[in-house]
Amino acid sequence: MNPVVALAPRFQRAGGRDSRVTTSLAITAFAVTTGLTLCVVGGLLGFMARADAPLAPGEDDIRSLYEILAWFAVILLVVPLVTLGGSAARLGVARRDARLATLRLLGVTTREVVALTLVETAWQGFVGAVLGIVLYGALLPFVGLLPFQGTTFSVSELWVGWQGLVIALIAVPALAGLSGAFSLRRVAISPLGVARRTSPKGMGFVRLLVALVGIGMFMVVSAIGGVFGAAAIAALIGSLAVGFAMLNVVGPWVLGVVGKVQLRRAKTPARLLAARRLLDDPRAVWRVVGGLGLAGFVAGALVVIPSIVDVDASQDPQGAILQDDLVTGALVTLVVAFLLAAASAGIAQASSVLDHRREIALQNLAGTPVELLDSVRRRSVLVPLLLVGVGSAVTALIMFLPLLGTIAIRDASSLLLLAAFLAAGCALVFAATETSRPLLRSVLADTVVRAD
Amino acid sequence: MSLEPRLSGRALVKTFGSTTALAGVDVDLADGESLAVMGPSGSGKSTLLHCLAGILVPDGGSVRLRGRDVGSLGDRERSLLRRTSYGFVFQFGQLLSELPAVENVALPAMLLGTPRKDATALAAQWLGSLGLAGMEGRRPGELSGGQAQRVAVARALITGPDVVFADEPTGALDQSTGHDVMRILVETTKAAGTSLVVVTHDAQVADWCDRRIEVRDGLVVGTAVRSR
Repeated sequence: MNPVVALAPRFQRAGGRDSRVTTSLAITAFAVTTGLTLCVVGGLLGFMARADAPLAPGEDDIRSLYEILAWFAVILLVVPLVTLGGSAARLGVARRDARLATLRLLGVTTREVVALTLVETAWQGFVGAVLGIVLYGALLPFVGLLPFQGTTFSVSELWVGWQGLVIALIAVPALAGLSGAFSLRRVAISPLGVARRTSPKGMGFVRLLVALVGIGMFMVVSAIGGVFGAAAIAALIGSLAVGFAMLNVVGPWVLGVVGKVQLRRAKTPARLLAARRLLDDPRAVWRVVGGLGLAGFVAGALVVIPSIVDVDASQDPQGAILQDDLVTGALVTLVVAFLLAAASAGIAQASSVLDHRREIALQNLAGTPVELLDSVRRRSVLVPLLLVGVGSAVTALIMFLPLLGTIAIRDASSLLLLAAFLAAGCALVFAATETSRPLLRSVLADTVVRAD
Repeated sequence: MSLEPRLSGRALVKTFGSTTALAGVDVDLADGESLAVMGPSGSGKSTLLHCLAGILVPDGGSVRLRGRDVGSLGDRERSLLRRTSYGFVFQFGQLLSELPAVENVALPAMLLGTPRKDATALAAQWLGSLGLAGMEGRRPGELSGGQAQRVAVARALITGPDVVFADEPTGALDQSTGHDVMRILVETTKAAGTSLVVVTHDAQVADWCDRRIEVRDGLVVGTAVRSR
């Protein structure tokens, strides 16, 4: 093995307290991502297996509808899951850059530096995947308690198989390593080992255009294709995935525009710093609040379901089961989306504190009040949080208009439910970001400010 | 100059566990005077700066700024003191990377209640006077090391502090740029009537100051006044 890459575990151990915090957060995120992904895939496999089972005499076959809906849920959860995994891989980028830049000065080649990062994040991904499998095993009996199609799932129905576990053990570290190496390449490192920050390049209007095309495509397909045509369903699922993924593309652009408006209006130091932070790196803020944006989209898409399916149980028992299942499925998807959003936000915020810790500590030494630093941290999250949560939900409502009709807008209970979900989601994500407060205090308590 | 020193430390003692960083240091700083604190790594010079600046509270002895006991102040009051009466220039990294130069300089003034527009105008004046006109909109990553330190000097002086503390201000610069920064730091603080404490291990940097003290093993072992 290359002697530099062989040193990776030693670098990991020698990183001190901050490094341990970063590593623990990353491993936790990979574990949550792996565990929940396996649960979601297990659920999908369960529905697919039921769809293939022989049909009882006289029973209407709506099992394929369940399979389609399970695919919808998977697509709605895949982007938040990938976002959480990506946040984990990028954790402590500035710290890692500074350390690796020092190694560059010592003569380590670029390829070895990238390989070191790859090994470090892949190792975290592997440990996270192992813990995620344990989490999956622990969650299986509880997921099995959820009633669908008139009965609960057995553990064997939700089991992804040994192949599934092996795939997780290979895919999670591989994706983690690649994501870590990719994030490293995006930071320019000067010969003196200082990660230089320059004026951010503006994000093109084309992002908005691409998102509008994705959303428009979904609306057109759902309006002209009908819901149950096989080709239309495939197109619908595909364009939903495109439109949903586009949120990740357009989100940072919207936050950049918000940052510009905030900067013009900023009168106090806290507002100025919060606006500059948002404008400086909208992608970093999106990593904190984007999870809620995606969850808000899920909420906007699913919250109308109780209103559109109104069945008399005595006349149509199978329809009543379907109605209950739709509500259960929507709620499960929503809860998972919000939990993922909170986990992503907490991790991204902790990462931001660690990446800026030298600046933060020196500001404090120079007399900048702790309250101001706290206020900037909070302010840079809160406004984008509310905007992104509500904006995404409204986008989903508009996007699903051709499919679900205007009931979501006409029905007050749906809108109230949506508002309640968004309020709870914002509170949950905000609470998750507040967990970085002790970390900020510990950074400020350190009067010996080191370069790394 | 008044007879009472602007800043004084008396019998300063500071320990970290079993290590004694300061073992009874006396130091005075007159109005507008520049003082270099020299010594090898681990001699206690940075701890002395931190105690004088109210960042650390000494275990023994006292620090007085214009006769006011700094050691008796609480954490919040010391933070306020650092904001209002002191300015700081560190080796590197004190500029906020997301702010352009002019806003980095304006920020301390805004923290003291100056409106953004006025603080920005004042900051632009300071940058101009330090030879950085036209670079107001550049961010720290777009400035050279010497330019960034000049921005830090402007930032330290914009509030009209009593004392500026500089901890190895030229440590990350080449010799020529370092001398340029020291010249600007000493000349500007003197012109503003501000006292200056510079921690350095570089004798040539210390030569810029009116007086130097040598710290070893937590004690002042030598004093020298610059010949004019």
